[in-house]
Amino acid sequence: MKSRELAAGVVLGAILLILLFAAPAFFAPDNLRDLLLNSAGVMLVALGMTLVIVAGHIDISVGSQFAAASIAAGLLAKAGLPMPLVGLLVLALGAMLGAANGLLITRLKIPSIVVTLATMIILRDLLRWTTEGAWVQNLPVGFQWAGLGQTAGSVLILVKTLVAILLVAWCLRNLSAGRQLFATGSNPDAAVLAGIRTDAVVTGVFVIMGILSAAAAMLNAIRFSEVPGNPGAGLELKAIAAVVVGGASITGGRGTVGGTVLGVLLLSVIGSALTYLGINPYWEKAVQGVILLAAAASEAVRQSRGLKGAYASR
Amino acid sequence: MQAAKILAALLALEIAVFSFTGANFLSSGNAAEILRLSVELGLLAVAMTLVIITGGIDLSVGSLMSLCAVVMGALWKDAGWPLEASILAGLLTGVIGGYLNGFLITRFRQLPLIVTLGTFSLFRGMAEGLTGAVKNYTGFPPNFLSLGQGYLFGAIPMQALVFIPVVLLFWVLLHRTGIGRSLRAIGYSEPAARYAGIPVESRLRLVYTLSGLAAGIAAMIYVAHIGQAKSDAGTGFELMAITAAVLGGTSIFGGKGTVHGTLLGLAAIVILQNGLRLSGQPTELAGILTGLMLIVSIGLEQRPGMSRVVLAVGAMALALLIGFNGHAVKTGPEKRLQVGMMPKAKGDPYFISCRKGAEEAAKELNIDLIWDGPTDLDPAKQNEVVEAWITRGVDVIAVSVESSASISTVLRKARAKGIKILTWDADAEPDARDYLIDQATAQGIGYAVTDQTAAILNGKGEFAVVTGSLSAANQNEWIKHMRVRLAEKYPDMKLVTIRPSDSDRDRAFAETQTILKVYPNVKAIAAISAPAVPGAAEAVKQSARKDVKVTGLSLPSMCKTYIHDGVIRSIVLWNTHDLGYLTIQAADALMKGKLVDGFNAGSLGPHAVRGDHVMLGEPYVFDISNVDKFEF
Repeated sequence: MKSRELAAGVVLGAILLILLFAAPAFFAPDNLRDLLLNSAGVMLVALGMTLVIVAGHIDISVGSQFAAASIAAGLLAKAGLPMPLVGLLVLALGAMLGAANGLLITRLKIPSIVVTLATMIILRDLLRWTTEGAWVQNLPVGFQWAGLGQTAGSVLILVKTLVAILLVAWCLRNLSAGRQLFATGSNPDAAVLAGIRTDAVVTGVFVIMGILSAAAAMLNAIRFSEVPGNPGAGLELKAIAAVVVGGASITGGRGTVGGTVLGVLLLSVIGSALTYLGINPYWEKAVQGVILLAAAASEAVRQSRGLKGAYASR
Repeated sequence: MQAAKILAALLALEIAVFSFTGANFLSSGNAAEILRLSVELGLLAVAMTLVIITGGIDLSVGSLMSLCAVVMGALWKDAGWPLEASILAGLLTGVIGGYLNGFLITRFRQLPLIVTLGTFSLFRGMAEGLTGAVKNYTGFPPNFLSLGQGYLFGAIPMQALVFIPVVLLFWVLLHRTGIGRSLRAIGYSEPAARYAGIPVESRLRLVYTLSGLAAGIAAMIYVAHIGQAKSDAGTGFELMAITAAVLGGTSIFGGKGTVHGTLLGLAAIVILQNGLRLSGQPTELAGILTGLMLIVSIGLEQRPGMSRVVLAVGAMALALLIGFNGHAVKTGPEKRLQVGMMPKAKGDPYFISCRKGAEEAAKELNIDLIWDGPTDLDPAKQNEVVEAWITRGVDVIAVSVESSASISTVLRKARAKGIKILTWDADAEPDARDYLIDQATAQGIGYAVTDQTAAILNGKGEFAVVTGSLSAANQNEWIKHMRVRLAEKYPDMKLVTIRPSDSDRDRAFAETQTILKVYPNVKAIAAISAPAVPGAAEAVKQSARKDVKVTGLSLPSMCKTYIHDGVIRSIVLWNTHDLGYLTIQAADALMKGKLVDGFNAGSLGPHAVRGDHVMLGEPYVFDISNVDKFEF
């Protein structure tokens, strides 16, 4: 059950071990802090993606949600709202976008990969059309680091990310909602027979996904003093890759928060590790692909392969 | 079946709307263009249909296209193979890549989504690694290029000769053979198919190999079409191909789907883009409407009872479209000079500020300005837009060229039809245009950036470059001139590393953080892409390294705060607003036959023309003394 998590942990450990001997400078506190800060956004999105994948679904609109939330954060702050209120409104926007996905999937019975493919394109092009790529500039001084300064701001981001990780992990383990989620992902028909309202579970998961995408956007945006016009492209595939490397089953019903955390760290260490080891960074994508394939291939066949319904609804 | 009917109705509606609003939409020339634009995507989509019918998916096809293109280009240009052999090797690469997908899926019993997500990354990474992401293979012989650019009997695009037989073969395979039936059986239930004696493994390997082969063929046609082979070929094609197949009624659960349905879906997407372009509408609408169509058609199939609600939404969206178009028609047909002006990427703040100047000039001169281009850097999209403008019949086309090799053919075609051609910001081949609006030469830019870096370092020490994408032609040209300048004037300065930022601020930020730690002796960062400069500056600022300064090419408005903080010492740029303004002024003067040395460029006054170069002026250095005076 835990073999995939273990594999991700071992590979990560091996890379860190090589770095320890070949480039100990990698372990300077500054570098580790920057590495964590830079992967905080992917971490939160991958956290939500874990829930979505455990529920037997997939969400490829998260990059577009991230973009919408980033720009909304910039515009609201520019309108002079206090930062805590900006944060709440941005999270509410994320919840709405997620709810739209969830309702389309459960009400219209359209597979989640189709719905989120559609909302990804719609949202992205809607943003391009309205902003025309313009950055949100001249933000109030209190925007960057939420007005706390760099050190306190960094700590705030890392703490909030950690809290989100622990909170999701705790809920999955201890709340009945967590068990309902695994039941829905394992076998939706059985879950319905067991009295679980799977539509509500699925809609709820997509709402949480939206909130986490928005949180990722918010925490990423406040590290800078301007918001770019079109952020978050390609985020969906990064998050899915991290979740899969972390051992979740794309057919649903299996996945852990710890595995995803390892997956995110493993994939985000590679770029920086290549540079520290003096290897040409152009090969980064190829290495990430090999790791993903190796993670997938290393798993012994646990259950009869079900191609059907792999990324489908219900 | 119902989905196909809905889609056919939507398609008919599209054609009806665009035949009113799009200039020359209903012409045989435009039909040929639509066919040409559909070929690469169509090949992928038809093969994808088979994959999805087995219950699988192939996310790797776009990346595999780039690998095939690069292998073909490298063997022909670097290894000196004959072209025919290189093409075969390119196709073989596709077959091997596709087989690899099938092998991993069947041998390791892994889900196609995961395997092809891995190879999606692997194939693109290999293409980038093999070429260092910078090599761009061009100069293919004309008889090969005619495969992507020529016409049969002067009317039918050449690639149709490949496309139609391939599609027919796929159709026969899926709809008229036992293999096709076995694919459906696998999609409906793999265990059932196995019990029925179908060799599931070998069928799946066949399907993914065919998908790889289709990617290989698409890559060869793509290279012939745009005249270059580079590692950025086919970006994002996988999702478009899936969209076309699903829109055409292929069920993502497997089992259901037809080749002709996919062609219908493909037509709906391509005609939407083409029609919006000919109607002068923002092409982002195409994405929004494609997404809505996807939800409407699949939603109706899944939930026929919902049809009234969903149809109402669809009708509203279309009414919206017609409303926009009605507006366009009202202002359209006056007899004004029509200028199509294209940036490299619409979303780039640099080009947004150029557009403001262009619009100002268009207003002064009462010119009908059409501003359109790719959303992100994409040479193939640039060709598409020019083709649409030729069909539309504009008077002047002004292009900021992403890839000279790929756009020059289509610009020559436009010239042959009597359209005047200007290039601005970046040039095409000289015989493909009338004039270049020259903001500064690559040499001038490279030298100026090097001089600013030298001023930070006092002519001595290490520095690093953060570039746009590693495959950006302009940036690579500047770096070449930077190296020349270093060699002849600053022997004590050392360029230690060049890092990519994909013109993404956050990526530039992370790359700069790494540079600062890995190369502690670097005291200057030269960022040569507009969003990369603030990204690098923020990284330096957060590192609290007071001894490191940033310079580069960017917009004053993006860098103002960092210049005041002292993190950015200076940035180099020309007046982008004036560049847009001058381009439209030159277009007007060109049509009136007045584009000569000292011509009157509106508020810019008399302007110099040297040969076929209209000069903007010298690159400008912005620093703390003057940055607040500029709006752009």
